[in-house]
Amino acid sequence: MSGTSSHSLKNGVFVAPLEVAFPYKRTVGTLLSRFFTSLQQCRLEGTRGSDGRVYFPPAEFDPLTGAQLDEWVTLPDTGTVTTWAWQAIPEDGQPLAHPFAWALITLDGADVPILHAVDALRSDRIATGTRVKVRWAQERIGGITDIACFDLLGGA
Amino acid sequence: MAELCAVVGVGQTKHAACRADVSIAGLVREAVDRALIDANITIADVDAIVIGKAPDMLEGVAMPELWLADALAAHGKPVFRVHTAGSVGGSTAIVAAQHVMAGVHGTVLTIGFEKQSDGNAMWALSVPIPFGMPVHAGAGGYFSPIVRGYIERSGAPKHIGAIVAVKDRTNACKNPYAHLHEPDWTLEKALETPMLWDPIRFIETCPSSDGAMALVIMSEERADKHAGPKAWIHATAMRSEPTAFAGREQISPRAGEMCAEDLWRKAGITNPAKEVDVLEMYVPFAWFEPMWLENLGFAPRNEGWRWVEDGVTDMTGSLPVNPSGGVLSSNPIGASGMLRFGEAALQVMGKAGEHQIAGAKKAVGHAYGGGSQFFAMWLVSSDKP
Repeated sequence: MSGTSSHSLKNGVFVAPLEVAFPYKRTVGTLLSRFFTSLQQCRLEGTRGSDGRVYFPPAEFDPLTGAQLDEWVTLPDTGTVTTWAWQAIPEDGQPLAHPFAWALITLDGADVPILHAVDALRSDRIATGTRVKVRWAQERIGGITDIACFDLLGGA
Repeated sequence: MAELCAVVGVGQTKHAACRADVSIAGLVREAVDRALIDANITIADVDAIVIGKAPDMLEGVAMPELWLADALAAHGKPVFRVHTAGSVGGSTAIVAAQHVMAGVHGTVLTIGFEKQSDGNAMWALSVPIPFGMPVHAGAGGYFSPIVRGYIERSGAPKHIGAIVAVKDRTNACKNPYAHLHEPDWTLEKALETPMLWDPIRFIETCPSSDGAMALVIMSEERADKHAGPKAWIHATAMRSEPTAFAGREQISPRAGEMCAEDLWRKAGITNPAKEVDVLEMYVPFAWFEPMWLENLGFAPRNEGWRWVEDGVTDMTGSLPVNPSGGVLSSNPIGASGMLRFGEAALQVMGKAGEHQIAGAKKAVGHAYGGGSQFFAMWLVSSDKP
C-alpha cells in the first residue's frame, strides 16, 4: 500500500501516486488440484468433454453442457504449434531470458491449445505446424510453470 | 404494468470459513446445481443469467462473471453483472426479477457469491487513497460510532446487541447451510466476549465466509405450469444515497426509509409489523437489528431495542427476524443479500426446514451495502397479489 507523501504540483494540478498492493490466495478445488499435482509429477492430464474433445489444461465444467468433468486423459509430452508470436526482447519474469516464441500449442491427443513459451532461439525456426516437446522445470511447485517451456522436436 | 413473477428454485452452498474443496467456479456451481434441481429444470431452460458479488478487490479477480460463463454453460445466453457493494445479493435478485417483469425473459437464473478466504474483505477496500482521509477502520470500525449514536439516542441498554447475536447464532443451528453452528451461547457468555470496536463485541460481528446462493425466477405464465411451491414476488425496491454529505442521517439513512416506504406502497402493506410474517434482514453487526427495525418502519423510532428485549424477533415472536441465522452466522458478502431474499422465499414456499416459521405467507428480504448507502428489499408471498 502506498503512502500519500509524494503529492506534487504539476502545471497547477496536484498529482499523487496510488500504488495498491494486496496479498490474495487461490483455492482451485479438488479437480484442478489433481491437474496441478500431476504437473508436479511430470504428468500431463486433461479432461474429456461430453462431445469427446480433450481439454488441456483441463476444463472443470463442460463448456457445452455445464456438467462437471471427471474423465481424465493422460497426454504425451509432445504437441504442435498452431500459431505464435516472437518475443524479441524478453522482460523480467518471462519464461526465458533470451528471445523466444509465445505459442498456442495443441498437445498430441488434445483438442484445444495451451499458451506457452517455445525455446526456438530464432524466429525463422518456428512456424505453424512445428512439432514441440515439454521441457520440465527442475523445481516444480504444482503450477503451469512446472512446464519450463517447450523445445523444438528433432531440432528444426 | 410489470408482469408477475415467482421464485421457483432456491439453492445455496454450505457456507464455511474456507471452502478449499472447490474453486470459485465450483462454489458457484454448487448453489446453481441445487437451485436448478429445486426448480426441476436444467440450464438449457434458462434464458438469462444475472450475477452479483461484492467488489472485485475482495478476491482480486477482475470481472469473474466473464470466466464463470463457461462453468455456468452460459454460452449463447445473456450474462449480466450487478454491483452494489454488500447489498448486491439483493439488488442482483431484483435485477433478475426485473428481466422477467419486463417481459424480456421467461426464466432467469440469478447468483450471488463470495469466496472471502481468497482475499481479506476487511482491508481490501481500505487502501489509503491520496487526498482522502485514511480511515483504516474496517467495517466494524466504520459502523461502531453509528451504533454508539443509536445507543445514545434510543437509550438502549448495552446488552441488546448480545441478545440479537445469541438469537441469530442459536437460529443458525437449525440451518444446515449456515457457516457457524454454535449452540451453546448464553447472554452471559456473549457479554464476556471481547470488545472489538467499542461498543461492538466479538459475538456481535459477522464471520467471513465462502458461499453462494442461486435463485430461479419464472414468469407467471411459466410458473403457473410449474409444479411445486412458489414465492410470488409482490414488490421490489431499491434506493441509494452517498456515504457522506452534510446533514446525513447516519443511524437511520433516508435511502433505507425510502426503500421500505416504496416496498410497502407497492405491496399494499399498511402495517408492516402485523402483515409481514417473517423478516430476513441484513444484520452484519447485531445492533443493526433494532436499527433497521426502525429504519424500515416496523418499530417506532427508538423502540426497536425493546422489541429485541421482548423477544418479538425470536423464532417464536410475532415478527421472527433471521430464522436462518442471518449474516451474523454466514457472511459470504456478495451472496449475503441474496441469502436474505432466498431465505424469505423458502419461508413462504414452506421449504425452510427446521427454521421454518409455521404458516408464513408473507416474507421480506432486505439487504444494505457500502456505508449504509445502498438498500434493496423484496416482499414475497405464497399467494399471488
